[in-house]
Amino acid sequence: MNRSISWMKYMALAAVLVMVLSGCGAAGGSTNGAAQASGGDQAGSAEGGNLTFALATSPDSLDPHRSGLAVAVRAIRTIYDNLVVQLPDGSIKPWLATEWSVSEDGKSYTFKLREGVKFHDGTPFNAEAVKYNLDRVIDPATKAANSLALIRPYSSSEVIDEYTIKVNLESPSQAFLGNLSQALLGIVSPTAAQKYGDQLGKNPVGTGPYTFVKWDENADIVVAKNKDYNWGPETVENKAAPHVDTITFKIVPEEATRIGSVQSGQVLAAETVPPQNIAALKNDPNQQLLQANTVGLPYTLFFNLRKAPWDDVKVRQAVQSAVDVESIVKTLYLGNYERAWSALSPGILGYDASLEGSINPDINKANQLLDEQGWVKGADGIRAKDGQKLTLRYVDGSPNREKRNDIAAIIQQQLKQVGIAVEVEITKDIATVIYQNWDYDLYGNSQVNSDPNALYAFYHTSAEGQRPTLSGLSDPKIDELLEQGAVESDADKRVEIYNQIQQYLIEQAVILPIYVFPYTVAASKKVEGIKFDSLGYPLFNDVRIQP
Amino acid sequence: MVQTILSRLATSLLVIFGASVLVYCIMYLLPGDPVLLMLDPSSATPEMIENLRVQLGLDQPFYIQFANYFGDMLRGDFGKSMINSDPVLPKILEHFPATLALTALSSIIAITIGITLGVLSAIHRNGVIDFVARLVGLFGISMPTFWTGILLILLFSVQLGWFPAMGSDGFSSLILPAATLGLVGAGFIVRMVRNSMLEVINEPFIVALRAKGLSERAIMYGHALRNALIPAVTVIGMLIGDLLAGTVVVETVFSRQGIGRIIADALMAKDLPVVQGVVFFTSIIYVVLNLLVDISYSYIDPRVRRAVRT
Repeated sequence: MNRSISWMKYMALAAVLVMVLSGCGAAGGSTNGAAQASGGDQAGSAEGGNLTFALATSPDSLDPHRSGLAVAVRAIRTIYDNLVVQLPDGSIKPWLATEWSVSEDGKSYTFKLREGVKFHDGTPFNAEAVKYNLDRVIDPATKAANSLALIRPYSSSEVIDEYTIKVNLESPSQAFLGNLSQALLGIVSPTAAQKYGDQLGKNPVGTGPYTFVKWDENADIVVAKNKDYNWGPETVENKAAPHVDTITFKIVPEEATRIGSVQSGQVLAAETVPPQNIAALKNDPNQQLLQANTVGLPYTLFFNLRKAPWDDVKVRQAVQSAVDVESIVKTLYLGNYERAWSALSPGILGYDASLEGSINPDINKANQLLDEQGWVKGADGIRAKDGQKLTLRYVDGSPNREKRNDIAAIIQQQLKQVGIAVEVEITKDIATVIYQNWDYDLYGNSQVNSDPNALYAFYHTSAEGQRPTLSGLSDPKIDELLEQGAVESDADKRVEIYNQIQQYLIEQAVILPIYVFPYTVAASKKVEGIKFDSLGYPLFNDVRIQP
Repeated sequence: MVQTILSRLATSLLVIFGASVLVYCIMYLLPGDPVLLMLDPSSATPEMIENLRVQLGLDQPFYIQFANYFGDMLRGDFGKSMINSDPVLPKILEHFPATLALTALSSIIAITIGITLGVLSAIHRNGVIDFVARLVGLFGISMPTFWTGILLILLFSVQLGWFPAMGSDGFSSLILPAATLGLVGAGFIVRMVRNSMLEVINEPFIVALRAKGLSERAIMYGHALRNALIPAVTVIGMLIGDLLAGTVVVETVFSRQGIGRIIADALMAKDLPVVQGVVFFTSIIYVVLNLLVDISYSYIDPRVRRAVRT
């Protein structure tokens, strides 16, 4: 009896304690939140402050050479600079390299480097540092990821003098210079790279406008203004040290939480706004919506041409006619995403705008094509030939990123109308299912890239021992065009080559292009000057936070 | 008593070992090659893949891999993450306190709300309080945690601005996630306590106590509740385990640091050493919880204590 009474007391005490604590917490929380939101408060001037920016996923590594994720680039861009910069019109301009020349045979580049640049750790930036970086990317010990594909066909470099370097390629490449502008080929401090080894990604050191401060896993990445910076590229107005003191990248994977934290003022900006929130944000007087279409390969569904019956162009064309891409994109993205028409996205060199409007849904044509090829509808409404049902194995590798699983579901419904059964499989294990076992008929992918040469990796016949391409396309004519496109130095001829390739891919129904991904940022109206580079990645050099 | 605890501890070690073996086998048998997940599928050459496999010791037969792993673990070396080469043990130790704090606060919320409402609703059966309590119970049990979490964010951060919507800075950021998890737990406890209270209230000894002229309050809290708590404690013990598991969802929704998110990421990436390390730690927690539940029986119910003594 006694004990039970004292037990009740403890319970009551605990309950009161919780209430008191949560009361304190509430008070602390709101002041805390207010302090964060008005980080830029500095008596009328728009210098200083802390930009809080919510990322949709956690970066894998801040070592540009080892990172494989686009999300890492948001932070990598602030810490590192590149040799050159690419403007939205595709032209290449100086950055850490002030000028360069290309040899007659197109196989070597000589760069003059900017003098007086120092890495954040004090290491001087010079030709040795650049050589170290380029060699580091191709060194297997680095375990380079996407940067390795970007640097090809690099073979070696020679230090001519302190600020001159000659870079040699195995074969001429029109994409090389553009690739050098990509954040994943950012220049890292050789001292830091040697010191930290495979931990450089956690201790990044570059020459960029911001220096690395800390990274709390799954929580935030903090970078601070580099006061000595004065070598910003042409893509930004402020070439000198940034206006804000710090940027805190918060990692907020849940989209409702991410948007909620901008609306509540806990963060000043958040990336990747879900389409259903775009309209509301546009009407919010305290918020602004920034949008930049990414460049490269739009989200595209690739047929696996090595599996019957998808090796038959007529069957592929039937699917092409039966899928109503327009209504998919309108339904899912509420008019906020652009529909893709080609293997390349608009804005990239060689994009063939004549393909726009070229393919429209036509159920009769689809049925007719399938009838012609001997696929007959059975009692269950599914077509069959020689006892084989016409089924399409549709594989998707993301847990509904950008509603990609919903695309699969709609296509499943649309193809059912013409008698094609679609089996949808969502799996994270793309490496095995797609790249190793080839166990798919349709698989979607996209790629951010600055050069149409990106098509090479998707449509050129794969060499012996190399990983097969997603489409499995093997056509000598296309191979030749892709090889020419990689080396052609006449821009007009290059455009012509890539136009031909794009037309072929649509005519032959090798792919179904779906949407062009817009990179969206919701930001408080207090934030000014978030810009985007030619690939659609955000730049923070010009950012100011108004009080 | 001491003897019981000692023998329980011995079985506990077996359980932890068993859990490790089981998870190791499951991870080993799962389809998907960690090496392929680590390298970029579009640029890695077969040679690079093979080199990495040898480097990680993944070319060895299963039993050797397991023996190596277990041997290292006994020496306190939990290995390095396959994805970013972070040592596993410091990573877990760093993130564990956040998850423990979340689990602890959500348990307190669940138990406080659960027992209070459960008792009140049994006493005032079919009244307004009973209705509210049953509603809370139903809500807690049937709402998916991520949904409750988002609702709380919309209400308390976006609309009212009382608490931060996400993050793990300080106590204020702990409230919403703990409330989300606590509501689920409370749902279960309310139902459990209510049912067992109702059962006990109708037992003859309560009638006997009433006949003796004991006050209703003394009967309810001194006798009925005590008897009703035994099944509730079992549920609470299991529930704290569930809450620990629930942190996977809640930590993601609220972007908190913690073990839940680490294991979610590690499972996705098939990062064996990290998954193993986390499972090892959580199995210790489960075992300790079970032990505490068993010990608490003997405090609540003298019959158990007597049985232990003999």
